Amino acid sequence: MLDVQPLPLPYFLLRVRVAAMEPAEPGQFVMVAGANRPEPYLRRAFSVYDQEAASDGSLVISLLGKVIGCGTEALAACVPGERIPVLGPLGTGFHSVAAGISGSGGSESGRAALVAGGIGSAGLGLLAQVLERSGRPFDFFYGGRSAEDLVEAETFRRLSERSGGRLVKTTEDGSAGERGLITTALEAEVRAGAGYTTVCTCGPHGLMAAVAGIAAAGGVAGEAATETPMGCGYGACLGCAVTLKNGGYALCCRQGPVFRLDELAW
Amino acid sequence: MVSAGARGLPSPDLSTRVGPLRLQNPILTASGTFGYGLEFAERADLHRLGGLVTKGLSLEPLAGNPPVRIAETRGGMLNSIGLQNIGVDRFLNEVLPGLKDLPPKVIVNLFGSAQDEYVRLAERVEPYEGVAAVELNVSCPNVSKGGIEFGHDPEILSRLVRRVRSATGKPIVVKLSPNVTSPQALAGAAKEGGADILSAVNTFVGMAIDTATMRPILSTIRGGLSGPAIKPLALRIVFDVAREVDLPVIGIGGVETVDDVLEFLLAGASAVQVGTALFRDPRTAERLVDGLRERLQAEGIPSVDSLIGAAARPE
Repeated sequence: MLDVQPLPLPYFLLRVRVAAMEPAEPGQFVMVAGANRPEPYLRRAFSVYDQEAASDGSLVISLLGKVIGCGTEALAACVPGERIPVLGPLGTGFHSVAAGISGSGGSESGRAALVAGGIGSAGLGLLAQVLERSGRPFDFFYGGRSAEDLVEAETFRRLSERSGGRLVKTTEDGSAGERGLITTALEAEVRAGAGYTTVCTCGPHGLMAAVAGIAAAGGVAGEAATETPMGCGYGACLGCAVTLKNGGYALCCRQGPVFRLDELAW
Repeated sequence: MVSAGARGLPSPDLSTRVGPLRLQNPILTASGTFGYGLEFAERADLHRLGGLVTKGLSLEPLAGNPPVRIAETRGGMLNSIGLQNIGVDRFLNEVLPGLKDLPPKVIVNLFGSAQDEYVRLAERVEPYEGVAAVELNVSCPNVSKGGIEFGHDPEILSRLVRRVRSATGKPIVVKLSPNVTSPQALAGAAKEGGADILSAVNTFVGMAIDTATMRPILSTIRGGLSGPAIKPLALRIVFDVAREVDLPVIGIGGVETVDDVLEFLLAGASAVQVGTALFRDPRTAERLVDGLRERLQAEGIPSVDSLIGAAARPE
């Protein structure tokens, strides 16, 4: 563990040096726990928010977190230099988007909308970087209860503007951006003919369900990085089932956490 | 294979005999905690395990229970997976070929919703040499019919084991439920029916409530509790069963440290299964093999065998 950067409470950014880990694809995650702590018993799943290859061949990953329980509390309390367990990268990331970038144009080459609810922005960090690097314009819709929840707004403003897009902020209390829900802002843009060809979202279930509805109504394809309680993160416990539209189940940790918006039962 | 330690003591003998089974060490992975083994070959060194117990297999594939399927609790977790599995045929045809030549013994966990299904499962498995034994799941708390009803009534259990006995020459392991007044009575019934080995215990039925929504967390309300929280409870049952029933026992319940392994061995288990601890770290089982070897060497204990049941013997 390199350092833990305190952000406005209850958020934190944890930087960890991992000796032998493949770089994560956008949307992939790691399972982590505080050092030598018996509780909580299970590790916690964190999106890889940012990553950087060090000169010695190791990888430095950044995990953007929000203290909500004993697991995240233990991580926020990590001390620089402590060794913490990290398993990853795990799961299936934003594949169709990544495929569109590396492929030659088609519907995946147009403008993208990234929609984050609060700490859900952690799941879109790598994706925003990939889009920016590949020269694909995207608007970043960032919603929260209040200004503190838009903890990485400046990062996403920079990335979206460099890509040729912009940052759209909303808060429920009006302390930053427009007062209201981010999905309302997204819907307005879609209706106004923003011409998105992809919508990618990560956030609370209700937000992602609303995004799925807006995307379907607008005929826009998209993906969601989902979250569910996980036991192991690597497919052994079968505990993280999500329900598919066809009535079956898929494991969030293996087939997901990123799913097509139209394959999930919202 | 392993050289003598720094103190020049001979390497301890980790092998253990569990009824008709000879294992290279007493560490197995528990059913439902490591899939079918192969899919985690890159996350764990399967070669070093004493044995591997598959996820419970049924005649037809099962999709499992709707979410929410797990709830973390202090010192462990509740699960209600609902026996999601790929079905016995896919396992035998697609997975077993990759497992059968590895050193760990493959024990196939079987689950039916009627006695006939257990018999048909045992028949299906019978011709496959790569299957070292069958473990009968008669104690799953997470399915509405079957499973648990066979493990809670001594007469029914005895009859079930007898029928499976007539269908297979492979060693039969009966996995005991802890959710009964006397696991020993069920253990005795399993022996009467012709079981070779007992494994104890399955999960304890429990529940958890979300105080924010004021509703049970699990979609099935009740689930099976596992993890360190149940270790003392499981240990007591293993101790009682091993003393009262003349069959080898595989201890299961919250095994995570070398001390846990030793406790189960001392209580009378001939081997242990590691389960929930694998969720924390997929390498837990192989770490226990190493840790056990080091501990025995450091303590000058020559073999696993010398420990089994030592706590039950008079001083």
